[in-house]
Amino acid sequence: MAIDVKKELGQAKVEQRMVYESGNEMAAYAAHQINYHIMGYFPISPSTEVAQFLDLMKTNGQHDIVLIPADGEHGSAGVCYGASTAGGRVFNATSANGYLYMLEQMPVQSGTRFPMVMNLVCRSVSGPLDIHGDHSDLYYALNTGWPILMCRDPQAVYDMNIMALKLAEDPEVRLPVIVASDGYFTSHQKRRVQTFAHREDVHKFVGEKPPAGFPMTLDRNNPITVGPYMNEPDYINNCYQQSMAMYRAGDVFDRIRKEYADLTGRDYPILDLYRMEDAEVAVFLMNSASEIIKDVVDQLREKGIKAGSIAPNMIRPFPAKQIAEALKNVKAITVGDRADSYGGHGGNMVNEIKAALFTHGNKDTLVISRIYGLGGKDFYAEDGHNLFQFAIDAAAKGYVEKPFDYYGHTPGDPAKAPKRVLEPMPYESLKTGLITVTPDEETGKLNVRIPPLRSLTKKPKRLAPGHGACPGCGIFSGLELFFKGIEGDIVALYHTGCAMVVTTGYPYSAHKATYIHNLFQNGAATLSGVVEMFWERKRRGELDEFGLKDDFTFVMITGDGGMDIGMGPAIGAALRNHKMIILEYDNEGYMNTGAQLSYSTPMGHRTSTSNVGKHQGGKTFHHKDTAQIMAATHIPYVFTGSEAFPQDLLKKAAKAQWYAQNEGMVYGKILITCPLNWLSEDQDGSNIVEAAVNSCFFPLYEVEHGVTTLTYNPEEKNKKIPLGDWLKMMGKTKHMGKPEYEAALKSFEGEVERRWNILKAKHENPYL
Amino acid sequence: MVSLPKMNELGFFEIRLESIGGLGANLAGKMLAEAGVMGVGLNGVSFSSYGSEKKGSAVKAHIRFCDIDTNIRDTSPIERPHVVGVFHEQLAKTINVISGIYEDSTVLVNSTKSPDELKDKLKMIGGTLAVVDATGIALEEKNRVNMAMLGGLFRLCEFLDPEFMKGVIRKSLEKKYPQAVAPAIRTFERGYNEVQFKTFALPEGQSMPAFTRHDTPVLGYETQPIGGTITNPGNSILKDLSISRAGMMPHFADDKCIHCAACDNVCPDFCFVWEELPDKKGRSQMFLQGIDYQYCKGCLKCVQACPTEALSSAREEDGYAEQHRVPHRFALAQ
Repeated sequence: MAIDVKKELGQAKVEQRMVYESGNEMAAYAAHQINYHIMGYFPISPSTEVAQFLDLMKTNGQHDIVLIPADGEHGSAGVCYGASTAGGRVFNATSANGYLYMLEQMPVQSGTRFPMVMNLVCRSVSGPLDIHGDHSDLYYALNTGWPILMCRDPQAVYDMNIMALKLAEDPEVRLPVIVASDGYFTSHQKRRVQTFAHREDVHKFVGEKPPAGFPMTLDRNNPITVGPYMNEPDYINNCYQQSMAMYRAGDVFDRIRKEYADLTGRDYPILDLYRMEDAEVAVFLMNSASEIIKDVVDQLREKGIKAGSIAPNMIRPFPAKQIAEALKNVKAITVGDRADSYGGHGGNMVNEIKAALFTHGNKDTLVISRIYGLGGKDFYAEDGHNLFQFAIDAAAKGYVEKPFDYYGHTPGDPAKAPKRVLEPMPYESLKTGLITVTPDEETGKLNVRIPPLRSLTKKPKRLAPGHGACPGCGIFSGLELFFKGIEGDIVALYHTGCAMVVTTGYPYSAHKATYIHNLFQNGAATLSGVVEMFWERKRRGELDEFGLKDDFTFVMITGDGGMDIGMGPAIGAALRNHKMIILEYDNEGYMNTGAQLSYSTPMGHRTSTSNVGKHQGGKTFHHKDTAQIMAATHIPYVFTGSEAFPQDLLKKAAKAQWYAQNEGMVYGKILITCPLNWLSEDQDGSNIVEAAVNSCFFPLYEVEHGVTTLTYNPEEKNKKIPLGDWLKMMGKTKHMGKPEYEAALKSFEGEVERRWNILKAKHENPYL
Repeated sequence: MVSLPKMNELGFFEIRLESIGGLGANLAGKMLAEAGVMGVGLNGVSFSSYGSEKKGSAVKAHIRFCDIDTNIRDTSPIERPHVVGVFHEQLAKTINVISGIYEDSTVLVNSTKSPDELKDKLKMIGGTLAVVDATGIALEEKNRVNMAMLGGLFRLCEFLDPEFMKGVIRKSLEKKYPQAVAPAIRTFERGYNEVQFKTFALPEGQSMPAFTRHDTPVLGYETQPIGGTITNPGNSILKDLSISRAGMMPHFADDKCIHCAACDNVCPDFCFVWEELPDKKGRSQMFLQGIDYQYCKGCLKCVQACPTEALSSAREEDGYAEQHRVPHRFALAQ
């Protein structure tokens, strides 16, 4: 909604304040004014910023919301569900695949009738990964039983967030509510936004506390059973209650928006009708594009064409009757769906609009369906004119020539079709014979011989140059050093993360060998499937025709984020002991989405969700010991490594390959630098990880058949440095040397020392 | 109430910033927009391009200004800018930074070159070039490039109030980094004062080139392999990443090299080119031949890793990379 500030200020009954902020900032701003009890979240673009802004505000002491970094979106939905049963106010924000990962929880929340508010910052759900804005995630929400409010711009994000809570908690509704805005178009564009100047006025509107009198799990005098086992014939009645509540939500919203308009002067009728009074042709679009189309309507009106536009402010419940009414005298309408319902002869909106017209006796309005703007493809006024032209043509002809099509797709020039650029790497160049691994029958361990590093430069790199990582990124030097120790062919699976994103920006790929991406909660399971298919097809003789000279080495590459959200599948794959390697590059945070804390982020470190300020001093809990967790699955080989100790890492790579080809699963963690988010100099990467090793924060060791060996002991080499010397090297930890953060530093030092002493004891004793 | 010097048909004055991630163009865009909206009471919108690219990759920031009464409905990127700010001159190598300008648009470039030299480099037919040595100013004042560019942009947007901006700079820095206030303001002021202008009239009979929408792909549904699979992997070698270097680069001195491969172990971008040759005793050995600057982002990790003086860091000079590049010998498909 475009804002007329002067008019608006004149109409507002309570004091308003103008800010210049983005959609995500406004979602966070509204949440902080409401002062929710709990937010469970997991970072995903483009919604991540909501939690970041809230963390920053919390660091400044501006609200009391307990921000809980979950282990994935499924976990975040669980945190939120549990919190909502316990009677307080609950908030979340997510997008795209993250939303689908929590989808299972959505009908649980609505079907057991616990209110909360979730911002869905809409983004494409996709196979080839697209992080930009369309409505394919939103369309999955249509059947979850959550009322859905729509936001065309940052102002609406703010206003809807406040109305959403009141709607969710209404005694007639009692349902969780989605507030949907367009990823990037709205979430990341800054606009003038009017807000309540005082939090008390927000509280007056939504109620200072959630309404009492509803079931909740923290009343010992009224124990309740939440979520029983309910089959037929009762379940259908639960659904009927939910259905009734959903339709009531339409009426309740209509009441709430009038109260809100009375207070603020900003009105959100269920349908936003623009110049529809006498319109003969119309376009229906949702959210950000529905604003651009208004400019097109104005331009067409100037030409004498009676054009109008329709956009819903609420799509669950679907305003069927209102839409039929609005289209009563319209000759033709183009409905743009920003997501397809493959095979449905139209997206979800066009089919619901057609059903609405049919139900309400309108058989005359011609409807044209177009799928547009997928994956964030921009919508220009030019596109709006083209959508109108379809309606204008149909109205003139009296029929629709092409009822369903895509808009904005392009055939491509055959001359520019992809052609192979590089020859495959010759097998002989990868199998150098320079590295030898032989089992020692006496000790049961492996003996490894590696040549001088110089001679390994002969081996082709598995990755091609030309990838888009930041200058000084530690990932690729770390990975290639590891690959130098691997002989022969690999098949690699990369989890979602920086390494994946910067090497495969379509139509380019920096992977010379075969590569697969899968979403980062599921790579270990996916690669298990590839591995087992390899062995089974090999057994059946189906691979003979490919002339394989040796077995592949299967390697999964993940960041520390992938080992958070993907911990379950990684443990599952380890327990099944597939012949594969999981190599984790640990840069102590979710760097691909903008440096949020991971469980591997150490205590006190600054990230975008563990800010440093008066009320918080970086991350509040200790780093995850992933290597020890994986060692506890009793796989044959676990190791840690660093590019600062190249011979050590190479030997471990060679061992890893031997175990992954002969015995089963290997897990390895390499610590790598992220200069951008560690706030360090690009050139210092190797020195910083070397200091991390020498401070005993990141000990180099291996666990071979359950027996731990420290492969480098800084104490014995007289290289040990105080933890603070390492922390001084990075901007993200500079504050830890200051007296006000002494407690965090002491706690961190204590933990590092404790873990180091345990490792030393394990090194001494093969039974530990 | 200020008035905008020119507007497009929807009432917008439009600014596009062209940069690489890390130079602070996104922040400069935000500050510029806030100066219009909060400082002089315009209505406005600002945003940046977001993609898979990281620091060192090409990025854009977009700012639209309009009168307070004008509705802002357009969320599409700016294709027809009245002002372009080019934070990194090298971008012109791989990107048409002046795409869509009008003949009365102004293009501000961070450069030490003359407007005439830049006109050729940017392939500009008509329009005004504004030049400021923002990198030089930033180095001298020990401050950031974006502050100097912001100064230059304020000069181009006379409807904005530089005093408001200085106030914002002061306010945002004085609490935490009071010592940084003066250099930041000096950098801003020098950027404002040291801009050189030259206008090139559109030659008669010529017209400004039409713009291509930024969302026009190379492949299409008839040429793209199904499922998004890339069937020519390794094609990233076709990319030129030299624009990622923000000023520094490694130099290689062959005679000081002991071929230890320490550089090769730490290079994130696989820039070192090796060849197998006989050593003095006639045995086959790997020898470092040089650096393929097409991929070097100038991180200088190799200089840190080098145990001799074979690798050293230097400010990038025009033409050095082209002259000293040792290209990789890829096995190209026939």
